[in-house]
Amino acid sequence: MKPLTLKLVKKPEVDIDLSPLTPDGLAGKTLKEIRNIKLDASGQRVRVGDLFEVTGGDKQHIQIRRCSRRLTHIGNAMVQGSIEVHGHAGDYLGRHMGGGRISVHGDTADWAASGMRSGRIDISGDAGDYLGAAPPDERFGMVNGLVTVWGSAGDRIGDRMRRGQILVYCNAGNYIGSRMVAGTILVLGRCGRYPGYRMKRGTIILRGSLQQLSPGFRCCGYLKMEFLRLLFRQIAKMGRRFAFFREFGPEVRRYAGDLSTDGKGEIFILQNARM
Amino acid sequence: MKINGVAIDDTFAEAFPMKATRIIITAMSLKWAYRAANSLTGFASSVIACGCEAAIERDLPPQETPDGRPGIAVIIFAMSTKQLQDQVTKRVGQSVMTTATSACFAGTYSDRMISLGKGLRYFGDGHQISKVFRGVRYWRVPVMHGEFLCEETTGVVPAIGGGNFIVMAKTARHGLAACERAIKAIDRVHGAVTTFPGGVVGSGSKVGSKYSFMMASTNEAFCPTLKGEVKNSLLTDEIGSVLEIVIDGLSEDAIKEAMHAGISAICRFGPGKGIYRVSAGNYGGKLGPHHFHLREIMG
Repeated sequence: MKPLTLKLVKKPEVDIDLSPLTPDGLAGKTLKEIRNIKLDASGQRVRVGDLFEVTGGDKQHIQIRRCSRRLTHIGNAMVQGSIEVHGHAGDYLGRHMGGGRISVHGDTADWAASGMRSGRIDISGDAGDYLGAAPPDERFGMVNGLVTVWGSAGDRIGDRMRRGQILVYCNAGNYIGSRMVAGTILVLGRCGRYPGYRMKRGTIILRGSLQQLSPGFRCCGYLKMEFLRLLFRQIAKMGRRFAFFREFGPEVRRYAGDLSTDGKGEIFILQNARM
Repeated sequence: MKINGVAIDDTFAEAFPMKATRIIITAMSLKWAYRAANSLTGFASSVIACGCEAAIERDLPPQETPDGRPGIAVIIFAMSTKQLQDQVTKRVGQSVMTTATSACFAGTYSDRMISLGKGLRYFGDGHQISKVFRGVRYWRVPVMHGEFLCEETTGVVPAIGGGNFIVMAKTARHGLAACERAIKAIDRVHGAVTTFPGGVVGSGSKVGSKYSFMMASTNEAFCPTLKGEVKNSLLTDEIGSVLEIVIDGLSEDAIKEAMHAGISAICRFGPGKGIYRVSAGNYGGKLGPHHFHLREIMG
């Protein structure tokens, strides 16, 4: 059966909340019912059928074509199935996601994977700020799951992150892993200022050099962290695209902190990670 | 039934249900992984007094281990899950964690998981770090050699203990030469191990004793020095030494395969090289639900 395809036919002028359009939300619905679903468009109501050309039938696999940054909350709280996004996605992609998989063939705006509980998000372009971070009214950011970004990511990614992994292939902005509670953030490109600012636990792994480190971190010297072998092997098993992780060694320069919050987090600077 | 002139008795080995887990030990080199595994499986020949039965299953090349280092798979058997838990925690804590550069991972997964690193993490005295990769939790315990990495739990699976066969030979030298070949053949079977020293039991036992405080005592029916003395001796004149190979396994099929491999290796020696008969130990079929009939297995 062909995936359920939602092709954007009308460019939205305001943000439109796509929360209802998940594999769970659409299960058991006919195409007619799906077209009649009303979406929140910044206070207005808009019919799915007026916004998208809806074809296909497999609601476990949803494709959104010609996606726009105005389309927010894609895959909100989904727990199964997959969503494939062609184009750029708006804020809050995969928010509170509890399972399944989202693939974005483009960029995402801010707050992607915020409050994510499980599952996997792959972003082939760039991610905005606050990836996997906690909004001000929530205690934790990403709680579990895996996010891969093949471009760059913005500031404060993994803010108050509780568990899970964020992998950024290119560069990351300032304050990554700030107030982090646990989890792992891996950045293979350059990293901005103050990674791990006020982090309590968790691991930030950087391949490039450090720009500026918070004064609450102390250097533990050059070490072999054997668990990195396990981590890199696990990542390498995720697909051919990740195979280069097999070549990464466990040699790191380790910084412990943030001691200003009595934190037990760590920042690794990889010493043997040729790509 | 005779194979290469070696008589196969029309009898069966009687085996018991056990609980087991497989763990994978890795280290900087196979030598150090072996030292950890050797220590862990020490004094683990029989549940009668050791608390568990344990043995090395096989060496693992780096591509088969979770962290890409050389490793060794070990299987530990016990009579209950509680007993297994107790033994795993003690043995991994004292033998694996204390071995330099070692790490420890689960080798079996099931609905019933027991602690592996879950209890050992407290050795970190608050400095331990938890990591969850692909739904599996690992503990990083800072130790003097660096970090001891240990998976949180390992799976308990139903297993079988006490598969066996008895080799009757001209002398102990003849018997051991054949048994060493049999052990090599059994080592190639996955999911089956021989837990006694060198895989061979030199003092096979029967259940009970004339002494009330003894759970097990010598099996006089197979003692060559008693063959003229006891009425129930099962030995003929030419037999001067009897050795037993006891096999524990994760399934009936694994034990059958191991028994077939072992007995085949034994029979290749033949009477010319001092091997006369192969039998098996049982208790009349009343105690253990698993019966391994020699002639069926070798048929």
